[in-house]
Amino acid sequence: MRIVILGAGQVGASVAESLASENNDITVVDSDQERLAYLQDRLDLRTVAGNAAYPSVLASAGLDDADLLIAVTQSDQTNLVACKVAHSVFNVPARIARLRARDFLDSEKLLAPENFAVDYALCPEQVITEYIARLVDFPEALQVLTFGDGRLVLVGLRAYTGGLLVGSPIREMRGHLPPAIDGRIVAIYRRDGAITPTGETIIEDGDEVFLLAADEHIRAVIGELRRSVEPVRRVMIAGGGNIGHRVAQALESKCQVKLIEVDRRRAEFVATSLKSVLVLHGDATDEELLQQEAIDEMDLFLALTNGDEDNIMGASLAKKMGCKRVVALINRRAYADLVQGGPIDIAISPAQVSIGMLLTYVRHGDVAQVHSLRRGAAEALEIVAHGDAKNSRVVGRRIGELPMIDGAFIAAVVRDLDKSHDVGFLGLAKLKKVGRVLIAHKDVAIQTDDHVIVFCLDKKVVKQVEKLFAVGFHFF
Amino acid sequence: MSQITQLLPLENIILDLDASSKKRVFEHVGLLFENYLGIARSTVFDSLFAREKLGSTGLGQGVAIPHGRIKGLKEATGAFLRLASPVPFDSPDGKPVTILFVLLVPEVATEQHLQILSELAQHFSDRTCREALTEATDARTVRQLFAS
Repeated sequence: MRIVILGAGQVGASVAESLASENNDITVVDSDQERLAYLQDRLDLRTVAGNAAYPSVLASAGLDDADLLIAVTQSDQTNLVACKVAHSVFNVPARIARLRARDFLDSEKLLAPENFAVDYALCPEQVITEYIARLVDFPEALQVLTFGDGRLVLVGLRAYTGGLLVGSPIREMRGHLPPAIDGRIVAIYRRDGAITPTGETIIEDGDEVFLLAADEHIRAVIGELRRSVEPVRRVMIAGGGNIGHRVAQALESKCQVKLIEVDRRRAEFVATSLKSVLVLHGDATDEELLQQEAIDEMDLFLALTNGDEDNIMGASLAKKMGCKRVVALINRRAYADLVQGGPIDIAISPAQVSIGMLLTYVRHGDVAQVHSLRRGAAEALEIVAHGDAKNSRVVGRRIGELPMIDGAFIAAVVRDLDKSHDVGFLGLAKLKKVGRVLIAHKDVAIQTDDHVIVFCLDKKVVKQVEKLFAVGFHFF
Repeated sequence: MSQITQLLPLENIILDLDASSKKRVFEHVGLLFENYLGIARSTVFDSLFAREKLGSTGLGQGVAIPHGRIKGLKEATGAFLRLASPVPFDSPDGKPVTILFVLLVPEVATEQHLQILSELAQHFSDRTCREALTEATDARTVRQLFAS
């Protein structure tokens, strides 16, 4: 695919890195020559220096032949103009813009094809906020991802003695759960090595397990792996920047939130814009301050400053001082790998969290969602099946009949997601999406419009999965 | 006359088009149908791209049959394009494409459209036919090749 990326900053560079590794033809545009040179030294791509909003610059970046534009410069305005130009002048079929300002993000009309023509507005700060909010909802989780508009939940967590299934083979799960509840263990990591789960696999204390179930069933299934944990009530956030501020806003109605910000002016601003958050002016790596604010009574510590080092230090300290669960935002890949399994429970890489939606535009087929897993080594795809038994290799067939792809498997199906039923009261129309979740068993037959969740343990097999779901050429 | 020649007017046969990508080809096709039938070029462009995203219409051997449904179109219509240089198309054999037959059909597709597709596929699977299409010097000759 021919992709033009505007902006070689943190977001642009990480997007370029993820996409350059998979046989795409990539051009990066930035006004900063040095940044471009740095990228070009490390990655197989072309660079163009100049203002990313100018048609002449876009033309020399090859927008005429581009399949996808990813406008991720620091400036919302530049990104919007670039999408408009890409649509009106260059006919680029798909356009993504990074936008920060709510004024732009909230206006569907402004982003419509007749106006700025943005197909998808990427707001990494918002994506990370939602990601953290889900971690708050699941106090035992190391990772929480959703599929099918939230109907299906994937939770990664550590198994502990006390969970019903720990010490037993996986097949016994069926015996514990009521007949209406179903779930699936999709992956197990033991001492950093992956284990392919089968019915006979015995779950051990300390295993990192990934569970998949419908959102109304996931808690029952989590009970298989550990005793239930108290919900998150007290949260401390380090850093009142864009991300910290947003996260505090999202959490203030359901938890008791304290926020530490090092810059006095910023702290004042954050304090006035939030209702019930206690904002403290200080350094989050300061042991005394953490002690004063009773870090040992916190359920969750979120290190969300701009500095990787500060986040790693702050989170490690908080853990050592008795905080139950600590999260650090880490931009540098090497750091994230380093702290994995150390004192920090959860390392969030902004790049990896935001790449998923971009990948839905890069993947072939009608792909509703992509989650990049294991730092990009593995991938979970939500693919919408199209066609019929004549022109599709999956529709009308049972999962057990499908050709095996080594390193990939179907984990679940969400059916009738485009249908909704009225749950309104007294004529107050309120639509709820139906989305029936079917955990994959070999007898489940795939129908057209099903959202099929496929796990690829190695990114190399993604191509084969795309091919399997591609409609035949006689599909209209 | 065969079904194919009926939907392929001479004006819609373009030989040795200079296009550097699939996108450029579809742009050209959009323009062609806008002039010929008055369908907005973006409608044709978007429809062909959307179909291609679900699975390539490349047949292999340098041939593709991009097709799409067009709202408001009364009957099936086609265009033949031969490119000056091949463009990537995600074909099953991985080979880039130089010969394209674009087929547009009304929103409600019928059995007839599938027949047209298989008739086209039959023509293209014949090596002598492919060679003749590659060597043809004018539109009339191309059209004649689809007549039998």
